[in-house]
Amino acid sequence: MIDFSRATPFRLVRRLAAAGQGSASMYLLIADTADIAKVQADVSAEVQVQLGAKLRSLTASELRPERLEDAFRDDAVWPAVLLTLDRWVPKLVDAIDCNVVLVTRFGAVLLLANNEIAERVLTAAPNLRSRLTDILAISPDEAFSGEPA
Amino acid sequence: MQTDTKSRPVAFDRRRIYRPFLDRLNPIASLRGLTDGDLIVLRDSDPRDASQPPIHVAFAGSAELSRGTQMALVGGIGSGKTTEMLLTHRLLGRHSDAINIFVDLADYTDLSAINTGAILATVGMRLYSHLKKVGKEPSDEQKSAHTTLRELAFGKTTWVEVEDHGEYDEGPEMIRVDLPGVMRLRFPALRREVKVIKELLLSIAAPLLEDDAQITLLIDGLDRLIRADRFREFAEQDLQALRGTKMTAIIVAPLLLWYDEGRFLQEYFDLVKHIPAAAANPQDSAFLRQVLERRGASELMDRMEINALAKHSGGVLRDLLTLARAAAEYAYRDDKDRIGHQHASAAIRQLGNRYLVGLGTNHKRLLTRLSSFGEFPTADSTARELLVNRQVLEYFKGGREFFAVHPALARVLPKPA
Repeated sequence: MIDFSRATPFRLVRRLAAAGQGSASMYLLIADTADIAKVQADVSAEVQVQLGAKLRSLTASELRPERLEDAFRDDAVWPAVLLTLDRWVPKLVDAIDCNVVLVTRFGAVLLLANNEIAERVLTAAPNLRSRLTDILAISPDEAFSGEPA
Repeated sequence: MQTDTKSRPVAFDRRRIYRPFLDRLNPIASLRGLTDGDLIVLRDSDPRDASQPPIHVAFAGSAELSRGTQMALVGGIGSGKTTEMLLTHRLLGRHSDAINIFVDLADYTDLSAINTGAILATVGMRLYSHLKKVGKEPSDEQKSAHTTLRELAFGKTTWVEVEDHGEYDEGPEMIRVDLPGVMRLRFPALRREVKVIKELLLSIAAPLLEDDAQITLLIDGLDRLIRADRFREFAEQDLQALRGTKMTAIIVAPLLLWYDEGRFLQEYFDLVKHIPAAAANPQDSAFLRQVLERRGASELMDRMEINALAKHSGGVLRDLLTLARAAAEYAYRDDKDRIGHQHASAAIRQLGNRYLVGLGTNHKRLLTRLSSFGEFPTADSTARELLVNRQVLEYFKGGREFFAVHPALARVLPKPA
């Protein structure tokens, strides 16, 4: 596996906070499949604590590619959405890729996937790949406690 | 780098140093913000030909002198195409009577499901808005055309009464018979719905065209279709429908069309401009340094770090901004007031890793061949993937096009056994 910068939900949200409200950003977060539910919960909690915002959490298997604008509508004070790519949905990835400018205008967009799906996304979506703020290997907070960054 | 702790009190708020810098570096920030903040560094010539004016100057000149011209801007992802379009739009505004409509189609329609006719419909609606904005009360005919155009663009729901037809009658069975003609059409005939939308657009534009107005349509977004055939479908329908209307069109096209063996771009458009993904030679580019310095890099890093970031960006503007941004974030996490060599190096490694994802054996074989022998077969589909994903960059020097592995990727690419 490629050695991407490592992050925890706490550190990730700290980056969002440092960039400031209204700063558009889009991260691809790669997690072990077994950690995904915990990462989802931790990111949601950190967004609430550090940004004082409510994270909109979506999954690829529930999202309709033709209704992308509903998922990424900007109606929050500090807009943040976590889209978990729980399975490979080529039509959704194509929709995000073609409309990536619209998606990135939303605010903070966090795409969460395991290594296999992340690789497929990056290969199939060159516009998305180009506009990612960063790719991070993310693990639940306790996994990195005490380790250097 | 140091470990984060959750409750360390800070004597000095370092965010105040880095936030403005990061704001100015956001590669996905609004372009309006870039122009308002005077962050765009203008090129002094065409990136492929130093004897030619900058692309936006050439486009604006053609639009002003030859109404109805159709022009295409082609280039890789992140090469600065939208910026050139925005500069063209700004320059065209030097004539107060010019009507310049800048459209990013993603703002109006889902590009993954877009249909031909969408460009014409969008332009029609924008022209109608323009008329109202400048206080020209639309005629009944224009109002009606606009209503129909909106219905065709977005669809409508009506309720109809279902009649009882009794037993279903299949009627006479028909089969389709196509008799090929002796002439092969250069471009396919306009579809019925495109013809209808064109007439509606012309109804809206008629009073402007009668007043000899200079109308220029700057259409962005279709380069994100990536596949050349999807773009071509639009050109052969929507743009062809605009021919003869005296409305000028400047459109952004996907990179792969530049390498299309059928030479569609050169055949169809009156003027084609190409921006190589690499804006400048990263080894000795004052241009790249200026881009960073305009955003305040000199206050946060030394010339050595600026040069390292410029070199490893490969000359790609979006990568240059991504590298500077990542280096600043690493320095912030390290509680440093300045960006050091280790932060620049970490940013370069991270960018290289981003390009490393998804490379299979065939990709790596082509990269090795390019690094070792300078050979890069652009007709090969795997080679084109590398170009689209910017893992390989196109350069232009002395009238010759050549290719190189992205320097950030080259740094992390495993050496062949």
